[in-house]
This record gives sequence, structure tokens and C-alpha cells, in this order.
Amino acid sequence: MTFLNDHQINRLMSQFKRRLKFKNFSCLLVLLSFFLGQTLQAQDHKDEHKHSTVTTQSAPARTLSSTHAFHEKSWAQLLKNGPRPAAYLFTTTYCSTCPAAFEVLHQAVKEKGRPVPLMAVMMDASGAKALRHASHFKGMTKMYAFEGFEPEIRQSVDPAWPNVTPYVVLIDAKGHLQKVIGPPPPEMLRRWLP
Amino acid sequence: MRFLKQSWCAWMVFSVLVLGMATSLSANAQSKPMKHAKRIQLATGAALGPDGRLWVVGLNEQGQMFTQSSPAQALGQWTAPVILNTQQDEIAAEGESRPKLAFGPNGWAVVTYTQPLPKPYTGFVRMLRSADGGQTFSAPFTVHQDRQEITHRFESILFDAQGNLHTLWIDKRDMPPKGAEPKYIGAAIYGNVSKDGGATFGPDYKLADHSCECCRIAMSNTPDGKVAAVWRHVFGEQTRDHGFAVLPGASSVASSSAQGQSKPPVRSTFDDWQINACPHHGPGLAANTSQTGFHMVWFGIRKQDGQDVPGVRYARLNANGEPLLSSVKALPDARAEHADVLVHKQRVVVVWRSSEGSTSTLKAWISDNEGQSFSVKALGQTQGPNDHPRLVQRAEKMLVVWRDTKEIKVYDVSQ
Repeated sequence: MTFLNDHQINRLMSQFKRRLKFKNFSCLLVLLSFFLGQTLQAQDHKDEHKHSTVTTQSAPARTLSSTHAFHEKSWAQLLKNGPRPAAYLFTTTYCSTCPAAFEVLHQAVKEKGRPVPLMAVMMDASGAKALRHASHFKGMTKMYAFEGFEPEIRQSVDPAWPNVTPYVVLIDAKGHLQKVIGPPPPEMLRRWLP
Repeated sequence: MRFLKQSWCAWMVFSVLVLGMATSLSANAQSKPMKHAKRIQLATGAALGPDGRLWVVGLNEQGQMFTQSSPAQALGQWTAPVILNTQQDEIAAEGESRPKLAFGPNGWAVVTYTQPLPKPYTGFVRMLRSADGGQTFSAPFTVHQDRQEITHRFESILFDAQGNLHTLWIDKRDMPPKGAEPKYIGAAIYGNVSKDGGATFGPDYKLADHSCECCRIAMSNTPDGKVAAVWRHVFGEQTRDHGFAVLPGASSVASSSAQGQSKPPVRSTFDDWQINACPHHGPGLAANTSQTGFHMVWFGIRKQDGQDVPGVRYARLNANGEPLLSSVKALPDARAEHADVLVHKQRVVVVWRSSEGSTSTLKAWISDNEGQSFSVKALGQTQGPNDHPRLVQRAEKMLVVWRDTKEIKVYDVSQ
């Protein structure tokens, strides 16, 4: 059996404290990075939920301050990582039948009382010019705007889409898609949000 | 050793931190608001002047309206662009809504465009006029008498054989107040006539109730010196086919305006497309020059064997605008978009854009037997954003003008 003198005990204690501090700091950093990652990742969904909550309360969509770029790779990314369930309505600045179709989606979500993200995708304008139309899409969570060659982006969404708007894509909780030109009929809405 | 252990741990922690941040930032970047690249509006109008010069009107990268011309002997060799004074109007120059140019007698020339107004779906039809063949233009002015902040958009212009300038546009002045019944289906086609090349105008008149809201209107001179038009029309509740009418002459406009009534148009297509949506895809029309009647192209979706079959189709119309059903043919391209048609004697030329990914091909379907049979030909190809093909004609001269981000190309399809 070895006995430690006071000096050795003090040295061991200080080493132990240093290690303890370092481990605590490491854990803190790991936790911080995880927390930051989660917070930032959830940011958009948090926004969507915020808007969606607003949606169910029928607040105007004019709180949106910017459009989000939608290019030829966006659709694949949204299908993979985007929210579910959700709805996307593709529109143009001159599509006067589009707000009525969006209202059908808005009503369906209100009836369910669930925070479901509703997105409008503007095909012929972006920024302030596109956002002029935000007030016509009550309950909109987010507005995207085409950026690039319109037929190419359209084909990335659906090669068979003949450039008629409103073009609506409903994505259910399991990721199943339903596509329709014009306002979605009731049976389609029921399948979307059972 | 202790130092190595500590530094290894530190590196691990640092890596985890960086990885976490990177993942979160990359996921976030996908849906963060982004600064949008400047959108170039490429929709361009074209016309042949009385001397055979080819003129174009469009917007440059700064959004300024310009004209350019090219001599008949060297088509595609453009003069320097001349910027027109449009008084800071916002100008619609995309897709079906393009600036336009037309030449009349007495050195008259006019340029028109739709000026979108702050309220969505509204606009004014604006015009600049020239009395010296397009060398100089006036300041812009509004063409229609109605000045409400409502839809006056998608204008079309054409001089008739007597030199009267006909302007048509889509107009929503007949819409009842929001919530009022009965609802008004679609929009209306309104027009007016100027006897002096746009210096003064007759009253606004209504050509038809219940047009579709956002497709271009096609106009054509008739063999007897009048002007005919065809547009996407809503028949019944939501059948979006096409309506045809011969425009009233300058003298008869006043009476139809006073009545405020319009005759139902002649139905020139029978796709029976039931849809409450906006196709953004207007028709093309050209008068038969060797006999009566017209040639027409249009986009529609029709039921065939229980399936919805979209496509651009061609047909001949009789002198009243009714289709000769046996002449209906689908263009040989499922990706055909925004087709237009030209006719001179036996020659019929249908031109369209066909896009696959970032590649667009300009195609022509040519007949030398008045549309009995056609052969297809690729005229050109480009990458990235480009305009719809614009067709121009003066007698036997038939040209296709096609603009992309780099240049304005001209194709002669006369022979």
C-alpha cells in the first residue's frame, strides 16, 4: 500500500478538477452543437408552424417579407426534406383562378384544425412583385418563386404538366402525392388529410 | 500523453461542433429566403414595315423598352436599339403578354404593351404612336376609355385594309361587386377602333362576354379587308374552347357600344375541355389567301378513349369561323407550346417551341397544299430562357423571330 503525501494529493486533485472541467466543457460543446443544429434545422418548420397556426386563425399572409428561390432541383429536395403533409399551388401573376383554388386548400386545413403548411409557387415573378399577390393566398405559409428557365423547372416537377395553373400538388403524411389542375375535388382532399 | 488525449478529445468535440453547424446550415440554406437573380423579360413583338424592314420591340436587361430594325436584304443584322420613352411604366413582357408593333398607312406605326397596375390582375393597355414610320414615337397613353383599376390586359392590334387600327383586350369591367350574384364567368373581350393611327379612338365596345382571362388574342386580316379574331372562351360554366368573331368596322362600333351587348361568338374548337383554370396558351389565326376561311392552331385537352389528351392542334375554319372537323390534326410533338400559323396561297406554316430540360427547339410544320399534309422541320435550338416564336408576314414574306438571352434570331420560312 502506498501513502500519498499532501503535495501529491494536491496535484491529483488539481488534475482531477482539470479533467472534470474539460469533460464538462466538452459535453457542453456537444450539447451546444446539437442544440444549435436542431434549432436551425427546425427554424423553417417552426416558421411554417407559426404561419400554419396563423392559417387556422385566418390571419392575412402579408406577414411574408420575401420569396424563396425555386429552381430545377428544388422539387426533388422538397419532396425529400420538405414538410408532410403539405400542399403546393403553382401560380402566375396573371392566374386569376388561382386564389379560389388556394382557398379550397385553406378551408380544408381549417376544417381539420391542423397546422398543415400551404405553399404558393410563383412562376413568373419573384420578390416584391410576387409578394403583391400574397394577400390573395390567405393562409399561405411560404411563397416560392421560379428562378431559371420556366419549362425546365416545370418539367422537374412533372414532365406531363401542360403549363396550366393552378397546378396543385398535395403531399400526405406518408409522402404520397396527388396532382391536379384547378381546385382539388373533395375526395382528393379527404385522401390528403384523412 | 495526457496532452495528446486531451487534444484528441478537443478535436472530436470541435469536429462534432463543425459537423452539427454545417448540417444545420446546409439544411437551412435550402429554404432560406434568397436573393433572386434578375429576371429577364424576353417577350418581344415583331412586324414587317411597308418597306420590308423587320422591326422588333421588347425590353432590354434594364427593363427599358427598345425598338430595333433589320433591312429586308440582311435580316438579322440589327440597327442599334432605340430606347422608347415609356414614362417609367411597369411593362408586361413575359410569355403570352408581349409588347407589340404594327404598321399602317401614312407612315403610321404603333407600339402597345400592358402596364400592370399595383393591384394584382389589373392593368392598362398603353400605346405609343409614330407618324414617321417608327423613327420617333409619342409618349405613352392609355388606349381605353375605362380607367378603373381592373383588368385591361393581353391586348392585340391590327390595321385593317382601310387603315383603321383595331385594338382588342381582355377586360373585367362587367364583373359584379365581390359576393354579388349571379357571378360573371371569365372576362370580356373589349375593343376600339382608331381611324387616324392612334391619334384618336372611337368608343370602347364589347366584342364578347365570358372570355378566358389570361391568354393572348389572335387577330388576322380577312380577304375582304376586315379583321377577324379568335380567343380562348368559356362556353357554359367552364368549357374552355375558342370563340371567333369578325370585328365591327369603325362606323358600326358606336351602335354596338351604345347597346352594351355582344353577340355570342362562333365556336371554333370543340375540345370540350372542362377546367376552371388558366391555360396561359392562346391560339393562332391566319386567313386563307387563296380561298375563303382560316387556318387556326390552339392548345387544349380533350378526352380520347377516356384519357385526357393535351396537345396543340391545327384545323381549318370556314368563313364564319366554324371548324372543318375533318381537318383537325394534332401537331407531331407532345411538347409543342405556343404555336402560331402563317399562310400564303398554298403554303401553311405552323411554328412552335418545344422544350426538353434546358434545351428549346424551334420547330416548323410546313404544308404546300393548304394544310392537307405537313412535314416537320427543326429551325433552330437554344439553351436556357427564350421567348415564344413570333411570326410576321407581309404578302409572301413569312418570317419567324425568336429571342433568347443572347440574340434575336430570324428564320425565313417563305419558301
